[in-house]
Amino acid sequence: MKMQQGFFERNRSVFIFALIALTMPFWFPLIGGYSGLDTKIMVFCIFVVGFDLLLGYTGYLSFGHAAFFGIAAYTTGLMLKGFSDNIIPAIIVAVIVSTLVSVVIGLLTLKRTGIYFSILTLAFAEMFHSMAMAMLQQWTGGENGLTGMPTPMLFSIKMQGDAVFYFITFVAILMFYVAKRIERSPVGLMMRAIKCNQTRLEYTGINARKYKLLTFVISAAYAALAGALMVVYEPFVGHEFLGWHQSGEIVIMSVIGGVGTLVGPMLGAAFMLYFENVLSVDLGEQWLLVLGMIFMVVVIFMPGGFMEAVSRLQARFTQK
Amino acid sequence: MFDLSTNALFMMLLTGLQMGSIYVLIALGLTLIFGTLGVVNFAHGALYLVAIYLAVSINDAMGFGFALILVPAILFVLGVAMERGLIQYFYNRPHTDQILVTFGLAIVIQEVLKWFFGANNIPFAIPSWGNGIIMMHEWFPFLEGFVVYPKWRLILVVVSIITVAAVFALLHLTTFGLVIRAGMRDPEMLQFLGVNINRRFMIVFGLGSLIAGVAGVFGGPVTQVSPEVGMHLLVPSFLVVVIGGMGSLSGAVLAGVLIGMAQSFTAHDINLSTIIVYLITVIVLLVRPRGLLGAKGVFE
Repeated sequence: MKMQQGFFERNRSVFIFALIALTMPFWFPLIGGYSGLDTKIMVFCIFVVGFDLLLGYTGYLSFGHAAFFGIAAYTTGLMLKGFSDNIIPAIIVAVIVSTLVSVVIGLLTLKRTGIYFSILTLAFAEMFHSMAMAMLQQWTGGENGLTGMPTPMLFSIKMQGDAVFYFITFVAILMFYVAKRIERSPVGLMMRAIKCNQTRLEYTGINARKYKLLTFVISAAYAALAGALMVVYEPFVGHEFLGWHQSGEIVIMSVIGGVGTLVGPMLGAAFMLYFENVLSVDLGEQWLLVLGMIFMVVVIFMPGGFMEAVSRLQARFTQK
Repeated sequence: MFDLSTNALFMMLLTGLQMGSIYVLIALGLTLIFGTLGVVNFAHGALYLVAIYLAVSINDAMGFGFALILVPAILFVLGVAMERGLIQYFYNRPHTDQILVTFGLAIVIQEVLKWFFGANNIPFAIPSWGNGIIMMHEWFPFLEGFVVYPKWRLILVVVSIITVAAVFALLHLTTFGLVIRAGMRDPEMLQFLGVNINRRFMIVFGLGSLIAGVAGVFGGPVTQVSPEVGMHLLVPSFLVVVIGGMGSLSGAVLAGVLIGMAQSFTAHDINLSTIIVYLITVIVLLVRPRGLLGAKGVFE
């Protein structure tokens, strides 16, 4: 009995997330969200949770995570088209391919400090983008994107409407739980130590590079899973999936929400997609400008994002 | 192997030099700001964007002469304002915050320009004296037959050479340059000596921005004028800075020309030319992680 309570206590945020996420189809339309957007939010929740493990815990700012998202999306698309319309083998192969690519890129980019890392990840993602546009055009469809996939199937269930929402939400809850486990594990401790003082960590005889690479690959695997699920959600792959806009969006989501909290970036993802698809109706073409300004204000005045705002408010109320 | 005649080789070298010129001009500002202030300016592409749109507008309204004088001047003021108004508050914050805030600024600038000028390409009218072609075979007797090159692109190369020379002269022949170079080595020591480093940082930021202005006035007709250009040029320019060695001016020039040449010499093969820049980056990073001419101890 006590064990169970402990499990619930430790994973309170996972249960709250599950509750909010699973009831989404009931309350989301009430605030103007259309059906399908909730699924997309779940996909990006997976993406940003993994991204936060890298940015929030080790402090490494990647501007190229679109590469893993996009590579997995293309692989999933090609698998659905050429192998089977069952999503399970497609997702597994996509995540494996993308993760292998991330090992190579990680080995190359993590040779240097944070600044180099940001620039180089951006460059590699752009490399994949231009490759998809030019030399791999016959597979990726170039400018037009990859289309013509069959309806994705989970064995005999058609991945449409509610089915796809609950499937992706289930995966999102699971991945959030895994991220929470990583956060509490010895690896999570190492991640925080890298952010805190990498040199000091190395003096204690620990191979920091190993943990940096591990974190990078884990976050890439999350991005890959999100990329694969994106195609399950909507059987189309555009070249924008690999572009710097996509990487930038993930960065903005994570920072607005509050990095290093896991919950914050998911909040940021939900906010940004809601903003982009619902609130943007009133703003028209200038929605990205407004979002850019919000982003700047957050970076300048509230580096902890929404989560910092929440804890500041909490502190104010408990003091009074 | 493709047939390499003297003419073809000459044209490839010239095209490489011309492509490299733009990278050098943008990377020069980037590396100058990085070397002195230690700030990675993701908004540098946006500054170039401001420059080309200003250049087009002023060129259409008042003529090229005004654009040539006004655009770099406005960009200098803009750079100083940006440093005073925003960047200076980020010197003591983590590098990731600097990248984030300049990235945000880049989005805002790009979107504002898109709002005003639209998302499509705007034609940049080259002044009449810069139009037309140059008979290269009249200048270089070793060329066979009839070889021509667009005049404006040659002017761009010349302007880049002059700009690079001016920056080097400023840094190596003046007292101001001496202080800046000292600041690149050890800003703390310089402050102990009673030098007001902040004022100079401000000017350096303005200078980097001014160079982007020069790049915009002459590069605009070549790179096109659309909101995507800024970010499009920023990535190879960043790589130029990384290959050359962060904060190394001569490294940026060398790497810029190298990248330009690499793209020009692989232009016949679309598959190779799309990845050649990244290939070079990987090789340089593996062989010389610090960049070609990177100094020891700079942001290791």
